[in-house]
This record gives sequence, structure tokens and C-alpha cells, in this order.
Amino acid sequence: MKVLIVEDNERVARFITNGLRESGHTVEHAANGRDGLFLATSEPYDVIVMDRMLPGNIDGLGIIEALRKAGSRTPILILSALDAVDERIKGLRAGGDDYLTKPFAFGELLARVDALARRGQGGDAGERILQVGDLRMDLLSRRVTRASRTINLQPREFKLLEYLMRHANQVVTRTMLLEAVWDYNFDPQTNVVDVHISKLRQKIELDSERPLVRTVRNAGYMMCAHD
Amino acid sequence: MTRLIRSSTVNWAFGYVLLGIAALAVFAVPLWYAWSVTIFEGRQEVLRDDAQRLTELFNREGVAGLTAYINARVGMQIAFERTLLLTDAAHHRLAGNLDAWPTGIPDRPGMNAVMIDLAGRPTHTLLVQTSLPGGYQLLVGRDSSLFLPLEQRFAWGLGGAVTFLFVFGMAGAIFIRRGLLARVVGIRQAVSAIMQGDLRQRLPTARSGDEIDTLSQTLNGMLDHMEHLIRGISNVSNSIAHDLRTPLAELRSRLEELSLTRPAAAETFTEIEGAVADVDRVMSIFNALLRLSEIDTGARRSGFVQVDAARVAAEVVEFYEPAAEQKGVAFTFQADGVAAVAGDPVLLAQALSNLIDNSLKCVPSRGSISVEVGRRTDGSVEIAVADNGPGIAAVDRPKATERFFRGDASRGTPGVGLGLSIVEAVARLHGGVLQLLDNHPGLRAQMVLPVTDGRSSR
Repeated sequence: MKVLIVEDNERVARFITNGLRESGHTVEHAANGRDGLFLATSEPYDVIVMDRMLPGNIDGLGIIEALRKAGSRTPILILSALDAVDERIKGLRAGGDDYLTKPFAFGELLARVDALARRGQGGDAGERILQVGDLRMDLLSRRVTRASRTINLQPREFKLLEYLMRHANQVVTRTMLLEAVWDYNFDPQTNVVDVHISKLRQKIELDSERPLVRTVRNAGYMMCAHD
Repeated sequence: MTRLIRSSTVNWAFGYVLLGIAALAVFAVPLWYAWSVTIFEGRQEVLRDDAQRLTELFNREGVAGLTAYINARVGMQIAFERTLLLTDAAHHRLAGNLDAWPTGIPDRPGMNAVMIDLAGRPTHTLLVQTSLPGGYQLLVGRDSSLFLPLEQRFAWGLGGAVTFLFVFGMAGAIFIRRGLLARVVGIRQAVSAIMQGDLRQRLPTARSGDEIDTLSQTLNGMLDHMEHLIRGISNVSNSIAHDLRTPLAELRSRLEELSLTRPAAAETFTEIEGAVADVDRVMSIFNALLRLSEIDTGARRSGFVQVDAARVAAEVVEFYEPAAEQKGVAFTFQADGVAAVAGDPVLLAQALSNLIDNSLKCVPSRGSISVEVGRRTDGSVEIAVADNGPGIAAVDRPKATERFFRGDASRGTPGVGLGLSIVEAVARLHGGVLQLLDNHPGLRAQMVLPVTDGRSSR
């Protein structure tokens, strides 16, 4: 996948670029707002990672607004040291798709970039059936089955599983789960998300069955059908 | 004097005095008019009746009879109670208490108001002139000035009322202004003291509960809040100095040691992971501090909506249930009905989450935690988390919400000592308080939030 990084801090830019390249992405980098806007409008990208504070007359939000005005629908992840809720809202309102506060763990960035790229590719919102391996989720009847076995889930467990299945073969971080499943943007100190995942695992992975949810060290979880 | 004229109180009072006088006039003028018309007509009626009776007497008994009657009546009556004059066609006096036919009345029958000489004194008189058969002329009149004292009293009364209104109105205004001025001066002095840095100064209040008092109390509330914020800022500076230095020092020594000793790769990576964990710890302190200052500035209040605290609590409880289950803690939730408050659902969830988190860390396995949401008798909403853990020692309780405070029980558990500060800040943002009580044994931490429309608590 092709990713554009607009970031003026060299060290951070190199960190992101190297990391994304290692994960198999094609990465281009612009060090100021002017170059960033030029690249973003002249070439197609799957995802743009945009720093908010940039030198060169136009800042991150300015570029995003310009791109959206020009009709671009490329998913954009905003990077910012500004963490207040209204800053976050400002960023999303300008046309950003996700917001990540600096400093961040690389795993968090990678997971979010992957999620955005996937979202940009397939409009899977209208799907009725989600399937990962032999695990099937019917979104209309809200029935979950594995092979021939029916699995009973609490509403929140259903939401958690749905999110994991929609992001199958991608890493999802605990923060992403907190935001998407519980709508919490604060960090509970206890490892509550892990406990929820392990409870969900007990329901969808019986001893005789193949594991579906993998723990990705220093990052989060990934649901996939094969090891 | 110019101060008096510039004073808005006095201007207003003057305006109201004028208004009062106008109201008096509106009341008095029609009354005066109605009164004079009634009296005037009544008098005319009486004179006409009198003239009529005398005419009938003339018709019955002739000139002699009437002359005799008039003479008798003039002799009997109080001087000039009635003015009577009977003359012949040439206006020669035949009888009556007028010496001659008065000048200035037209030579025809009818009603006339004229000035005539009565016993050497010019007098307003109302005269009815009647022509009798044979050219005789009859005048029946009455002194109009008989009612003068009454009219004078009326004028005096009206004048008195106007004077009273004016004097007391203006005196009242000056009096009120004096009092007001004294209080404004007090407020000004307090404010200048505050501006010069004495944050403990408060505006004087009189407990009278009037508008100025209410205003002063509100301003004092604002000053309390500002003082708290400023204290908070200096506390944070101190805290940053103390509590961020420790992990940063650790981090620094870890990295420096690494670069000096250059250990084997495996150990290097362990150390690097440790360094990342140190940074994360610093970051979590930063985030908590930023969150705190964000809450304290009140910026989040713009996002207030009607929230059912019971529902928010139910979701947080559901969120923590598996964690409690895993630890073998009895975790119960109790809510009686909807507990609507104006607030920020995410912040309320975070506050409650911090409380539950604290309890989960403290209670022994097989302990118990209960979350309760309910309405108090005064209508405020109480969100409580009670556990049977070690609790907080009574002496430590007032300090427990201070930033970076960590009680004896929490030493050795993960955390940075900002959890309760955040809960308290959230409670305060919602116009409420955080209370830490003894649960015999354990801690009962409860947020008491007033029911507001989201505006009155500002």
C-alpha cells in the first residue's frame, strides 16, 4: 500500500517511514506543508499520515481542508501533540479520519494506518455476513456460529467480535477497541480490555478449535483464520 | 454635588418622583373638575328654585307681598347668605339687601356670574335675574366665595402630597446611594487587593441576600475557583518537578548506563524495553495532568448534555465486570431508576472507572466492590463506589485528592497518584463534590452531583 507521510520532524518521519516500509508499505515523505499538499494532490495514496504543526505557510489541517475541498477521499490519519478533546474534534471536522496523539507506539500507528487503508478500499458497511475461517457472524439476525456450533454473546461481546472480524488480518490495538467498542477515549489503568478479549476467546475458541484471536506483542490483537 | 447628579440612583429617583407627581395630577384633575361642576350646578339649581318661589309669591300677593317677604327674609338671615333685590322697571330699588342695581349684568333674564360690591367688599356672586309681570325685576344671588376655604384646602392637600413625595423620594435616593456607594467602595477595595496578588481577599457580603449580596457571593465563588486553579497550577509545577523527575532520572541513568557498559544484545533490548516503559510512565503522568487541566479549565462544560448517570455507571460496571470476576471480587451494581444530570458522559465514565480501578487494585481477592447510583432526598445524584479493602486512613483522606498523593495502601501498586484528583475535578466540573467516607472496613468514595440545567452552576 502507498502511504504519504507529511511530517517535519526528521527523526519521527524516519521512524514512521522505516517502520511502514518494514511492514511492506510504499512510503513517501514530505517535510513541509507545501510539498505535502503538492504530493497529496498529484499522486494517489491509500493513506496519508499528516502532522498538524508544519512549517511552510500551510499546516496539517489546512492541507486536509484543501484536499477535501478538491474532492479527495483518501483516508487521513492526523498526528498531533495536541490532545484536548476539542482539538481532536477540530481535526476530525477538518476532514481527518482518525487522530493519534504524539508520542505513540509504532504498533498503534501501524494498526490505524492499516485500518484506514482497508476502509478506503472496500465499502463493507452494507455487508450482512462476516466470516473469518469457520466463524460466521450474521449482522441482521445477530447470530454467531462456529462450524455448526451456535455461540451466545452479550451485546458488548458481539460488538467486540464484530470489530475484530471487520478488521480481520489487521492488528487492532487496545485503544482502538476502547474507542470503537466502548466509546471511551481514556485509558483505564487495569488491563480490562485484555480480560474482555480472553472472555470472548473462551466463547469462540473451544479447546478443540483452532485459535482465531492472536495477541500481538506490544501492539494489540489480530483476528485471523490461519496461524 | 456633581457626584450626586452623576449618580444613576439619584437620577432614577428623580424620575420616579416626577412620575409620582404626574400620577397625583392624573388623580386630582378629573376629581377637581367633577367637584366644581357638581357644586356649580347645585348652586344654580338652588338659586333657580328660590327665584321660582319668589315669582310665585309675587303672582299671589303682588308687589307689596313680595316686598314684605323680602324685607322680612333679609332681616332674618345671616348677612349676605342670599343676595336679594327687587326693583321696578327702571331698576329703582324696592326691597332687598343690595343698595342699587349692580352694573355689568346684561339687561335680560338669566344666570350671571359677576363681581359686585357687598358691604364695600368686591365679591364673586352668582345672580339669577328674573323679570316679573309689570316690568318688575328680581335678582336672587349667592356669594360664590363661600366654598373658597374648601378649594384652598384641596390645593393645600395636593401641594403637600407633591412636596412629601419629592422630599422623601430624593432623601431616599440619597440614602440608598450612600449605602450602595459604601458597598461598592468595599467591593472595589477587595478587588484591587486581589489584583495586587492577595488571592485570599473576598468581597464583603452582608447576608442580606439582596442583589448585590448575591452578586458578591457569586463573585466570591468565582474567586474561590480561580484561587483553586492558580493553586493547582503551582501544585502542578511542583509535582512536575518532583514526580516527573523520578522516572526521567531512571530513564536517563538506564540509557547512560547502557551507552557506557554496552552489554550484550539480549540485555540491551531488555534495557531498551525498560526505557520505553519509563517513557510511557512519564507520558501517562503527562496525559493525566493534561486531562486534569482540561477538566479544571471548564472547557469540557461546553459539551454537557443530559446524561443518565445510572446508564453511564451500568456501562462502566459492565466494562469492569470481567476484570472483577477474574480477580474473584464480588462486584455488584445497584441503581434505582434514571438519575439524570447535565454532564459529560465520557468524563463521568472516566471518573467512575478511576474509582472502580482504585478499588480493584486495593481489595483483596474474594473482597467485594459495590457501585450504587441513586437520588438523594434533596434531588442530587449520588454515584458511589464502596469496597472492603484497606480504605484510606482518616488523616490521609483530605490529602487523598491532592495531585500525586499516594496513600500507604497504594504504594507498590501501579498508578501515578492522579486518579482521585481527576475524579474530584470531574465532580467539581459538574458542580458537585467527591466525598471519601469510611465503609467499615474499606472506602466509600461517592460523587454527589447537583441536578442542574447545566447553566446555573457556572
